[in-house]
Amino acid sequence: MTLLLENISLTIGDVLLVKSFTISIEAGEIVTLMGPSGCGKSSLLAYIAGDLSPPMYGNGHVTLDGVDLVYLPAEQRHVGRLFQDDLLFPHLTVGENLLFGVPRGSLSKRQHLVSEALASAQLEGFEDRDPGTLSSGQRARVALFRALMAKPKAMLLDEPFSKLDAELRHSVRNYVFAHLRERQIPTLLVTHDREDAPAGGRVFRISNKGDMILA
Amino acid sequence: MKNFLNSFAGFLPLGILWLSPLAAGLVAVLYGALDEAAWLALFGHPQLWPGLALSMGTGTLSLIISALLAFWIVAGLYGGKLWPGTSGLMGGFLSLPHLAFAIGLGFLITPSGLLARVIGSVAAWAAPPQWVTTQDPYGFSLVTVLVLKEVPFLIWLISAHLARPEVAQMLNGHFRVSQSLGHGGASVWLRVFIPQILPRLKWPLLIVWFYGASVVDVALAIGPTQPPPLAVIIWSDLNNADPAVNARGTAGALFLTAALGCLVLLFMFLKRATLPSIWRFFTRGPSRRRTPRITSGALLLFFCAVYALVFAILCVMSIGTLWPYPDLFPSELRFSAWAQFLMSPAPLLNSLSLAVVSTLAALALAVFWLETVPEKLDAVLLACGIAALALPSLLIADGQYLAFLRLGLNGTWLGVFLAHLTPVFAYVFIVLKGPYRAFDPRYRAVALGLNADNYRFWSVVKLAMMKPALAAAAAVGIGVSIAQYVPTQLIASGRLTTLPIEAVTLASGGSRPLMAVFALMLAVIPAFAFIIASRLGRKPL
Repeated sequence: MTLLLENISLTIGDVLLVKSFTISIEAGEIVTLMGPSGCGKSSLLAYIAGDLSPPMYGNGHVTLDGVDLVYLPAEQRHVGRLFQDDLLFPHLTVGENLLFGVPRGSLSKRQHLVSEALASAQLEGFEDRDPGTLSSGQRARVALFRALMAKPKAMLLDEPFSKLDAELRHSVRNYVFAHLRERQIPTLLVTHDREDAPAGGRVFRISNKGDMILA
Repeated sequence: MKNFLNSFAGFLPLGILWLSPLAAGLVAVLYGALDEAAWLALFGHPQLWPGLALSMGTGTLSLIISALLAFWIVAGLYGGKLWPGTSGLMGGFLSLPHLAFAIGLGFLITPSGLLARVIGSVAAWAAPPQWVTTQDPYGFSLVTVLVLKEVPFLIWLISAHLARPEVAQMLNGHFRVSQSLGHGGASVWLRVFIPQILPRLKWPLLIVWFYGASVVDVALAIGPTQPPPLAVIIWSDLNNADPAVNARGTAGALFLTAALGCLVLLFMFLKRATLPSIWRFFTRGPSRRRTPRITSGALLLFFCAVYALVFAILCVMSIGTLWPYPDLFPSELRFSAWAQFLMSPAPLLNSLSLAVVSTLAALALAVFWLETVPEKLDAVLLACGIAALALPSLLIADGQYLAFLRLGLNGTWLGVFLAHLTPVFAYVFIVLKGPYRAFDPRYRAVALGLNADNYRFWSVVKLAMMKPALAAAAAVGIGVSIAQYVPTQLIASGRLTTLPIEAVTLASGGSRPLMAVFALMLAVIPAFAFIIASRLGRKPL
């Protein structure tokens, strides 16, 4: 699986935020995109995911596994996302949150997948817990597994570590990266903290003129 | 101790003007129901059970359809181009009282009404059709009026909830994450948004449910007659000259309330029983179904068209002194009904004075409470307010009638004012509470730092900043007071007449233009209050 971005540009009004960005992200690769807030890095993720909203506009091709995503609605793109907030649904239990994105099928099989996921997240038996009772590290892991269980073909990480405290941040980061690499998912990470970028990975910075500069 | 005294001071005017009339009403109705003969007479009433079935059925059906349509429209429009205007539009629709709407819609759908005339002129009918629309035996026209009126109310409430920044931000995040997990818009609404919004609408939905099942004025205008809904049966008992029949009405009002209580218990049982399957539905997995944008837009358009049509019909009807079937337009236009209305202005003046004074009193009581009583006691008052609104107005008004009988308040303006204050204050407090309590106390520190004293801060800074909320609460209060039929009729005991009382009398067979004039006035005053409020809300002091 490869995530291919070709000539992507983003504009807000007459201002060009991103100018003709092209990159190919290989299976299991994690590419980091850096820049100050308002530079368009989150909007780039929204464009790839398919929910960029006016007054922001974008164009350019997004190809995943040979399929052009641009004309598909967001829910059919198989692009997973993690946000600053874990966005666990407060009205569902931990197990139900995980089931939410698992494709339809027999309930027992799907529930088996959930308990497997909870086991690998070191959260065995947490099915019936209210997400509100979890620690922030536990919530972050549930959010990751909820995204992974929908079988995404690419992942977009929008500063998912920025609200964690320093200690937790390090371990959650390594944990997320390890799982994404293990599943060979091409990943684009957006952050304003250099520390967040995985060691040895490609890091891009958005310049004032909208150019992507390899750091 | 000082705190306690302060709280007590805040409680005192409210206790005298609002809480004791409410409590006295409830006590009096219970006391009045200690009459075995009345209960025997009630259970011997041949129309009791069919009437009960009609009341429960029309109330429940209208609630279900209203909630479905409201969420259907919101789901399709939320976040779209039409959404920002929708909420204001619904607020406007809201200000048209049920009764005025029922009268206008009645003329649209009766066999000799405008709809039949339009179809008849195309299909060349010789006589009015044989269809049974208004006062149909199953109450479908009653349900129609209730649905058409409650949907804007629910959409308005939902949009107010969705407009809160923290709610909007959370739901926006939930929407994005659900999409990334493979869920289309419709699936997100069904599985994520509605389950989170619905608990917030619990009390308004209960109020809508009970209102529909116990409404009197709309049922008199457009509801079934043989048998009528239980609320109408009780109503005619309460207005009977014979005290024994009155007592049967009192027992009936309690019986209707108890039946509503049982209905809620039944609902809670059903909810419990179906919870596992509802939960299975939430977690069945992604569905790509998208939100119904086109049908939602069409529904919104339909609502706009109906409201515009009803308003236009009332206008034409009020001057159409000669309008025989099958003419599409009156053959004679005269302002005689308007002249007649202005010649005897008592109903208008009474309605206006009651609305203005009860709204001002409610505002003063609410502000006084909010300024003097700690926030943690709000929940208690809120519970009383919800009870005052959810309990059938038949029950409270009958109780107040019985209580006021001993105080000699029936037939006086003061008595009717107190009866109006019961629902008016409840609504005003609910509307005002949120914005007033959310006021940032640091403004006070800033103002005092600028050498303003407490009073100056309060009058120049706080009230000015609260002006939009005060204006909105006032508009709601005026609308609620103008529409009061049941308590006014009972407490006024024929010695005081208001707009809805005249409108109901005319609806059961009077001059059609005059009926339209009254319906229009019922609509115009709250609409005017609403427009002024939104003007005031926008302009800074």
